[in-house]
Amino acid sequence: MTEHLASFPYLSCMLLSPVAGLFILLFLKEEQRTLIRGVSLVSAGMAFALSIYTFVAYDKQLGGLQFVEKYEWVKGFGITYFVGVEGMNAPLLLLTGIVIFTGVLTMWELQDRVKEYFIFQLALVTGVFGVFMSYDLFFFFLFYEIAVVPMYILILIWGSTRKEYAAMKLTLYLMAGSGLIIPGMLLLYSSSGIATFNMVALHAVQFSPWIQKVVFVLLLLGFGVLAAVWPFHTWSPVGHVAAPTAVSMLHAGVLMKLGSFAILRVAMYLCPQGFQYWAEFMGLLAAVGIVYGVFVGLAQTDLKYVIGYSSVSHMGIVGLGLATGTVDGLNGAVFQMFAHGVMTALFFSAVGFIYDRTHTREIHELGGFSKIMPVASAFFITAALCGAGVPGMASFWAELLVLIAAVQVFPVRGLAAIAALVVGALFALRVVQNTFFNKPNPKFVHFEDVSPFLGLPRMILIGFLIFFGIFPQTMVSLIKTSIVPFIKGM
Amino acid sequence: MDPILLGCLLCVILPLVAFGLIMIFTWRRPNLSLAISLVASTIPLIIAWTMLFKLWGIKEPLIFTFNWLVSDLVKVPFGFLIDPVSLIMLVIVATISWLIQIYSIGYMGGDPGFGRYYADLSLFAMSMLGLVISSGLLQLYVFWELVGLSSYLLIGFWYEKFSASEAGKKAFVVTRFGDVGFFMGLVFLTIFFGSLDIAGLNAAAASDKMPPWLITTSALLIFCGIAGKSAQFPIHVWLPDAMEGPTPVSALLHSATMVAAGVYLLTRIFPFMAASATAMLIILAIATLTMILSSTIGMVATDIKQVWAYSTVSQLAFMAMGLSAAGLAHGTLFAGYFHLTTHAAFKALLFLCAGAFIHHFGTNNFFVMSKEGGRKLTIPMVTVTIAALALCGIFPMAGFFSKELILGTLAHLDNKIWVLLGLFGAFLTSYYTFRVIFVMLFPRADDHPAWEQYWEEPEPHGHGHGDDAHGHGHGDAHAHDDAHGHGHGGHGDSHGVPWVMSFPLLVLAGFTLVLGFLQTPLETFLLGKSEPHEMSFVLLASAVGVALAGIGMAWLDWGRKTASWQGFIKQIPALETFFIQKWYIDHFWRWFLDTFIYGVFSKWFTYNDRRVVDGGVDAVAFSCIGGGRWLSFIQTAFLQFNLLFMVVVLAAVGIYLLMGR
Amino acid sequence: MLLFNQLETYLYVALVLFFIGLYGVLARRNLIAILISVELILNAASLNFMAFNRFLAPHPAVGQVIALFIMAVAAAEAAIALSIIIAVYRKLKSVNVEQATELRG
Repeated sequence: MTEHLASFPYLSCMLLSPVAGLFILLFLKEEQRTLIRGVSLVSAGMAFALSIYTFVAYDKQLGGLQFVEKYEWVKGFGITYFVGVEGMNAPLLLLTGIVIFTGVLTMWELQDRVKEYFIFQLALVTGVFGVFMSYDLFFFFLFYEIAVVPMYILILIWGSTRKEYAAMKLTLYLMAGSGLIIPGMLLLYSSSGIATFNMVALHAVQFSPWIQKVVFVLLLLGFGVLAAVWPFHTWSPVGHVAAPTAVSMLHAGVLMKLGSFAILRVAMYLCPQGFQYWAEFMGLLAAVGIVYGVFVGLAQTDLKYVIGYSSVSHMGIVGLGLATGTVDGLNGAVFQMFAHGVMTALFFSAVGFIYDRTHTREIHELGGFSKIMPVASAFFITAALCGAGVPGMASFWAELLVLIAAVQVFPVRGLAAIAALVVGALFALRVVQNTFFNKPNPKFVHFEDVSPFLGLPRMILIGFLIFFGIFPQTMVSLIKTSIVPFIKGM
Repeated sequence: MDPILLGCLLCVILPLVAFGLIMIFTWRRPNLSLAISLVASTIPLIIAWTMLFKLWGIKEPLIFTFNWLVSDLVKVPFGFLIDPVSLIMLVIVATISWLIQIYSIGYMGGDPGFGRYYADLSLFAMSMLGLVISSGLLQLYVFWELVGLSSYLLIGFWYEKFSASEAGKKAFVVTRFGDVGFFMGLVFLTIFFGSLDIAGLNAAAASDKMPPWLITTSALLIFCGIAGKSAQFPIHVWLPDAMEGPTPVSALLHSATMVAAGVYLLTRIFPFMAASATAMLIILAIATLTMILSSTIGMVATDIKQVWAYSTVSQLAFMAMGLSAAGLAHGTLFAGYFHLTTHAAFKALLFLCAGAFIHHFGTNNFFVMSKEGGRKLTIPMVTVTIAALALCGIFPMAGFFSKELILGTLAHLDNKIWVLLGLFGAFLTSYYTFRVIFVMLFPRADDHPAWEQYWEEPEPHGHGHGDDAHGHGHGDAHAHDDAHGHGHGGHGDSHGVPWVMSFPLLVLAGFTLVLGFLQTPLETFLLGKSEPHEMSFVLLASAVGVALAGIGMAWLDWGRKTASWQGFIKQIPALETFFIQKWYIDHFWRWFLDTFIYGVFSKWFTYNDRRVVDGGVDAVAFSCIGGGRWLSFIQTAFLQFNLLFMVVVLAAVGIYLLMGR
Repeated sequence: MLLFNQLETYLYVALVLFFIGLYGVLARRNLIAILISVELILNAASLNFMAFNRFLAPHPAVGQVIALFIMAVAAAEAAIALSIIIAVYRKLKSVNVEQATELRG
């Protein structure tokens, strides 16, 4: 992979802008709420702007790894601070930027421990940015853990509905996942014989087939926990339900993508033979997840559970795309990571608004919300339609690519996934009908609709969904620049 | 830029922009939204007609393509295919949607969702126009789904009414059921053929470049989508329910254009579909069944929109019959396509007339309309009769010509059963159509016993918010003409229908009268040549004969002074119940959904998730805690015991290490 | 051969000291006494270091530095342990380890 050094440390700035915001927040008083929000917004906004910049400024003709920064950190262990951007992580950096920026705006109304909340949220985002840009296995894992830990506190303090249980469950699950990842990583490190954590260098090493097989399955399951691969998905609906709005957004929108991205970036990249061996298994888990998610979601009555299970199904599409190992499948999988991230962020953002007002998420209690809050409802309905795979939204193209590739490689699983689209539509529309249509519940008629300011983050999310729905090539051509050499190198 | 390309782009982009503008900015302002939407529908109208005249007589199709999405194997071009087939459909869609937008000014005036209504109409216009001129099947699928989306939004427009939101959901899910088949067909073609270009597919299938199994499989899968959109058995169930939407929507989407999209697709890839005789035969069988089924249900419905809805289903089936028969007999697509054209005009007219009555009387039941003096609305009454005659296929209405053509095509088949069934369907069609007309034209005296049977309290139709107290000056007022929101008296016309509503009626009636005589020029335009149709006298006589017989039967049952107003089907109660229950197909689907989807899969998967998957994880967690509890007996709380143990172990380790040396 | 000039002598003394301390830690029930016994063990270790330093180490300062460290650690440890003992006494009104059974499984 060709590496092009950065003329200016864009990526480090992107990584450090939430850190800087976090440090400034440490010195502010809890009472200075507007200032706290302002500082968080500015630091998130800077990261967002930089992520857009790297997305746009990435030179597709040149390809390879761009904006590279490389500094040795611990020479003895071969640990380098090595960050860069290529086609497959640029969309995800952009996604993180979008979600953190809109997430801060979404939490504008928070009243409880505002300062601590934003500190933890910014810490979380630092970790996420770090994972997406690191090309050093050590830093990759370090940032991965940084991203996971603040989640526990965020859910525990600001959450709702069985939050202690959910926070504990989520953390234990993810720690168990890490428990599989570390041995896998160390096995790679020790058997490489070159004593380096640099992924690009490790990629050049020919690991013996059995090491690849063992490491791949360890990493697949370990990262798969975070990607909510069936049957390790049950933490995710519970966690989504308990988490506060912006944390759900980050969590479902971005954190789950860490898992699937890591499967692609680490497991498939470093152990191609292991991948060949386990691809069938991976495709099976993913296909089961797709079908399973929609059916379970059909029976849920809590809005957030519904979204949680739709995420399980949609992340299954990512997994299926990865399992195909074809250019189309991987393009679709990365695209789906992005599209699903924006879509669920929109989902949770819309639900959060309604929950903040009504303090209920029971579908049957809501009812007729379109009458009361037409704008808020329109946001949710848009997300639901996107989830149902309506064209004109980004996720349609992603699903299209994945499903075509899947039918080609795994015909039965691919057709089952296509058939699940019907249930997916039923599932999305059932929720929309019960929540937003019919007669309004008289309890809630006095609520105000979304103000333009609070509508802004949702509009940004919808804007991205529709932009990439109408111009999918802007995204796919970028992703392709890294996927094509990736497949060749496998 | 090529003016044609610019025109195509404008047709797609303008309504989309209108949709966006209204949805984001002006949805609270009815007049502004109306203005935006009208501009965005008038320009495509002008473009469509201009293109038709400029390109009249083109031989080679004009194709423009760009890359929309290029992955690896999957390449989706975005492009326009302008040929006679798409030009005619473009004109139909642009014209009818423009007329409906005009009509809706009257029909929907004062509705609180007025802006949203026009936004949805614009979205529909954009997707339908885009569908018609698509150059590739995948692009067509994209717009196809968008059409489905706008249909969903418009059916559930009065979302507070449970039946409306339910119908919208049903329409989307049922058509999606078909679309999944369509999508699978596209996936197969992508994988095994590599391109979804319409012109390329047609050429390849016609010149035997594709394996027959692939053609048959993908043709049948694509037909699933067609069946969904054009409401063919057994997934026709959504269309009658879709009548919950506003009547102009029923006229535009659910009769004239959107549901015709399925048949349009069949026409679009006709050479490809016709390459598989098996597929054609299956389509013919399904279409025939659908036609008989929907006609019989139409005979017993009491809701005027339901009657027209079932008639739509049967006419769509009739078109599909014409096309598949032509495919089997190596004929041309003209018969089916011509019927599509004429049907668009007269069926839109039927619905708009129904809309005028509904708007006036606040009920959908045509018996009630009749009693309240429906025939006094002169313009709708005259035009509905014209349209009904066209539907029955009576000279000189447009329907006469197109129905003759289809029956002629059916008669070409070796197996004469199809043409007989077609004639039977035509008989039923005439019967149920004129049942409505005669009931409306000849109301009985007020004390006639038959009223009891068909009387329903005119429920406050009021556009679904009849009982909301927001006081839009609309609600209940809508139900009765004397309290009518935009009192017809104000317009100074005696027929009781505002001019914005009667103008489209007259235009469409004009089309209904004229279109039939354009058969030869249209055929020349579509096929490049006009073949003389050797119309056998027997067939002509029998076609007109069954139509007249149907009307006569209706006269006996419903028209004449001494008619019993019972209908001959009343003689066989079992059959009548069977028809009233819509052949129990809705029941079947309901049962299927409840039993399998909810009852088995959803329930058991959820149970599995709670108990097995989640339960398993919780069991691990709890067994850790339990194990710790159990082992805690070691902790005796005797400090020095622990210390002693530590020392002993250390000593043992030390000794072991020393000995090991 | 002078007894004072032999490594073994110091090692035996340290050994005795260590075992006295160990016995005290294991046998006494009084927390203060246990603490004192721990000090004895530490002193035994210090003595060892000094002895090895004197007889075997090439550099004369190493063992002494460690002994100084041990003294510092012992002081810190005594402070912490005494504060714990006071806390225990406040709670249980006794400094007998047999009374402290709150962590029984």
